Amino acid sequence: MTAPKAGAWGKMANRIQKSVPMLMILPSLLLAVLIIGYPILDLAWTSSQEVSRFGKLIGFIGWGNFAEVFADPLFWESLSRTGIWTLAVVAGTLVISMPVAMILNDDFYGRGVARVIVMLPWAISLTMTAVVWRWALNGRSGLLNATLMQAGIIDQPIEWLATAGTAFIVEILVGILVSIPFTTTILLGGLSSMPQDAYEAAVVDGATGWHQFRYITLPLMKPFINIAIVLNVIYVFNSLPIIWVMTEGGPANGTDILVTYLYKLAFRFGQLGKAAAISLVMFGVLLIFTILYVALISRNDADDAAPEAEVDDEH
Amino acid sequence: MTYSFRTSTAVMALGVGMYAFAPAAMAQTVVDFTVAEYSAKTGPYFQEVATAFEAANPDIKINIEVVPWDTLLQRLTTDVAGGSAPDISIIGTRWLLDFASQGVAEPVDSYLTPEFKSTFIDTFMGPGIIDGKIMGLPVAASARAMMVNMDLYDAAGATPPTTWDELYEASKKIAALPDTFAFGLQGKEIETDAYFYYNLWTHGGEILNADGTSGLASDAAITSAKLYKQMIDEGLTQPSPTNYNREDVFNLFKQGKVGTIFTFPMLIPQIKEEAPNLKYKILPFPEAGAKATYGVTDTMMMFADSDAKEASWKFIEFAYQDQYREKFDLGEGFLPVTKNVAALPYFTEDPDVAGFAAGLPYAKFAPVIANWEEIADVTVRTMQQIYLGEVTPEDGLKAAAAAINKIRGL
Repeated sequence: MTAPKAGAWGKMANRIQKSVPMLMILPSLLLAVLIIGYPILDLAWTSSQEVSRFGKLIGFIGWGNFAEVFADPLFWESLSRTGIWTLAVVAGTLVISMPVAMILNDDFYGRGVARVIVMLPWAISLTMTAVVWRWALNGRSGLLNATLMQAGIIDQPIEWLATAGTAFIVEILVGILVSIPFTTTILLGGLSSMPQDAYEAAVVDGATGWHQFRYITLPLMKPFINIAIVLNVIYVFNSLPIIWVMTEGGPANGTDILVTYLYKLAFRFGQLGKAAAISLVMFGVLLIFTILYVALISRNDADDAAPEAEVDDEH
Repeated sequence: MTYSFRTSTAVMALGVGMYAFAPAAMAQTVVDFTVAEYSAKTGPYFQEVATAFEAANPDIKINIEVVPWDTLLQRLTTDVAGGSAPDISIIGTRWLLDFASQGVAEPVDSYLTPEFKSTFIDTFMGPGIIDGKIMGLPVAASARAMMVNMDLYDAAGATPPTTWDELYEASKKIAALPDTFAFGLQGKEIETDAYFYYNLWTHGGEILNADGTSGLASDAAITSAKLYKQMIDEGLTQPSPTNYNREDVFNLFKQGKVGTIFTFPMLIPQIKEEAPNLKYKILPFPEAGAKATYGVTDTMMMFADSDAKEASWKFIEFAYQDQYREKFDLGEGFLPVTKNVAALPYFTEDPDVAGFAAGLPYAKFAPVIANWEEIADVTVRTMQQIYLGEVTPEDGLKAAAAAINKIRGL
């Protein structure tokens, strides 16, 4: 960080140096704009048009598709259910993944095998997992009921997917299950980069396990947890296969989330304009969530950092 | 790395191939044919027809793509939207109006010679005629009927019913048998609405009234929905019907656990293979004032923007030869759509097939109206709400009729 030499050359060198990061980001930024931006623009355009069931644009109708979507009670039900689904799956995943990651971070015999086992579900496509669960949850011939009945826990088979209430809970549990490997990986990455001396010092000071977790692990893991939250929210919010395969949003639309409802509108009912409008709403919701969340995190970080800066100034 | 290697190899191979076969390739017309997958036999069957056709017409290549029914409409929608529609496709006749009204389907009147036309059974040509134009040819047909497990009926001392009252009484006796359900009621996924229409029609109701409005709010509709609900509540159906799709119900029947189901002819080959000892009987639907069965047809259609219509039609005519139609109908368990195949002894003498074919004179078809899939979905949702007890049959059906009228713009 030497001070730049005076004169035009120095200024220019400085400017070039400053713009190097921008230049390096530029190619991937352009690519992202092309790959993500174009479809979104196309979607926005489609959502303002009357669209035939085969995707032909018939004419401009402005907000017509959105007005129709907002007047549809099924849209609002699906929206609130999407909120529950996302919150429950992401929260459940984090609550389970944290201890799993901590256990896998400890050195024990067979840790390699245990890590592989936890990661395995990741290697199987969501659709396959959902199909397997659909079979396992079958009322009369499903594995789950057979197991529960043999263990004497229930004496009548339960039709898990027959009512929206139980079906949705089961789907959330499956959603949590398939999200664990990815989340555990992120958290494990964080844990393995954690400084061990902090724990040693804490043990010397007489901190209990809970205290170590609460005052050392959690604060240091914050950035990793935040990444896990943002990425999981985006994945889960948009996740079609589990609900689609297990119930198709039924019975009686009782397990529809936005993306399953969207899929039905687009590919069963051929209402591509309305479907485009919903996709745009979904994109907006995720965008706002991400911006708000990132803003919240950076503000918190700034608050945390502030006192230290003051202390530094005093020296 | 691997990808670019593969790509370059493919490009090279393509180049070599084009060089080697350039003269032949130039003259060849390619016909893309999207085939709906009825069973594991469908793909190989059409491939066989295509191979025979190509041998007779070396200048035409038939490119067959087999697509499962569940994704067929989505697939065709995206293909058409993306400008890469096939030349020919098998579709559900219920979608034909959407295809025709958007100018996606090619009218076949000008291609259809009188001789070829006369090979079809008229009943099945009807649903493919839109605004006086023939938009497609029937390719598969089925009618529905009641199937009873005779072992269970005998064990319960019941006789197979002809009316809904008799079905209800017989079901009470069968339900008393251990580990047995009297009536298999479908409650989710494809054709959940059809299971209700059987009931509705035989009570004298209609899907659409004469003025085009929904018939779901009629007395017949309410009576029939109440009957299903009552049977659920009294334990005459399998528990929680909303967890049973069509295959689930049929599987229960194959396992010998259900006394009565409503089904299609395609189940017979399955039963013969998977449950050869099952003693079953095919009977007309129980009645309560009206006779009815559900006639379902699928359509072979050509696409309006095809650039190989002549070649496509040539293939269609080839594929409708008696020997191929016979193999198709027998293999898939369909009712014949052509007169010559219908006259074969198998279709006139076999009691199972005859049982299904018996309903054809009074068969009802799904109405050919726009937005049919959405209307069917409203019906399915309502039936599920009624089965689950979330709404009363009266309230549910009235709301459904209103929703359907709104979709129809009435």
